[in-house]
Amino acid sequence: MLNYMVQCSAELDNAFAALSDQTRRGILEQLGRGQASISDLAARFEMTLTGIKKHVSVLEGAGLLTTEKVGRVRSCKLGPRRLQEESAWIHAYQQMLAERLDHLEAFLERTKGDE
Amino acid sequence: MMNTAIGAPSRALLSTPSDREFRLERFFHAKRERVWKALTEPELLAQWWGRGNRLVIERFEFERGGHWRFVEHSEHGVHGFEGRYREIVPLERIVSSFEWDGMPAHVLIQTLTLEQLADGRTKLVSTSLFHTVAERDGMMKSGMEGGANQSYEALDRVLSTLG
Repeated sequence: MLNYMVQCSAELDNAFAALSDQTRRGILEQLGRGQASISDLAARFEMTLTGIKKHVSVLEGAGLLTTEKVGRVRSCKLGPRRLQEESAWIHAYQQMLAERLDHLEAFLERTKGDE
Repeated sequence: MMNTAIGAPSRALLSTPSDREFRLERFFHAKRERVWKALTEPELLAQWWGRGNRLVIERFEFERGGHWRFVEHSEHGVHGFEGRYREIVPLERIVSSFEWDGMPAHVLIQTLTLEQLADGRTKLVSTSLFHTVAERDGMMKSGMEGGANQSYEALDRVLSTLG
């Protein structure tokens, strides 16, 4: 159970980390309109292939996008949850709020009798 | 209107009163004065608001029109949240805006209300109002079906062990 909470929290942190960068938010927005290859994205965001690959791998780690190699081209699309930027944010927000209330409850339990 | 009651007896209730809002109810085994203090005294807020992360309260002007800014420091990074207070009714109600640095100008309006129950518990209702269609769609798509339900279930299991 604790592991589950830790896992939720880690997922949330990944989503935050993934979304905290402007380029990564742009990539999700772009993929919301259709899939794109790594080199498409590099051209669109005026970055090197290596630079774009780093961003793509952070997003992939957070489950926000998936990649598939077709021939010599690596193609990117939105992840299994198909979360776009706002979806991901709202999802993270809901989890975060539940976590905060959880911690509030634990705090109230812990400080019982302090009044 | 969609209601998702979780656990039996239910201690967390998630619902969507309109397509741009979601509402969360929680019951605490504490008197309303104590819950209010935990929500409004910075030294107490710092002990839980950060979800286990170190919390720096950079601004806390607890009055109508006042600004708040809380920053969580975790091993994964630094996350700042801020807003302004729209309405404060002591012991009853706090309405404020809420923004995360990572999604600037995606502003939510949060309303927290507290109600003292006859059995000594306090009922907290949290309502979050979104502004954009994309956020609403995001909520409907991701929140109701997927992870949020799972995390509320996990939360409920944790709470039931706290008794």
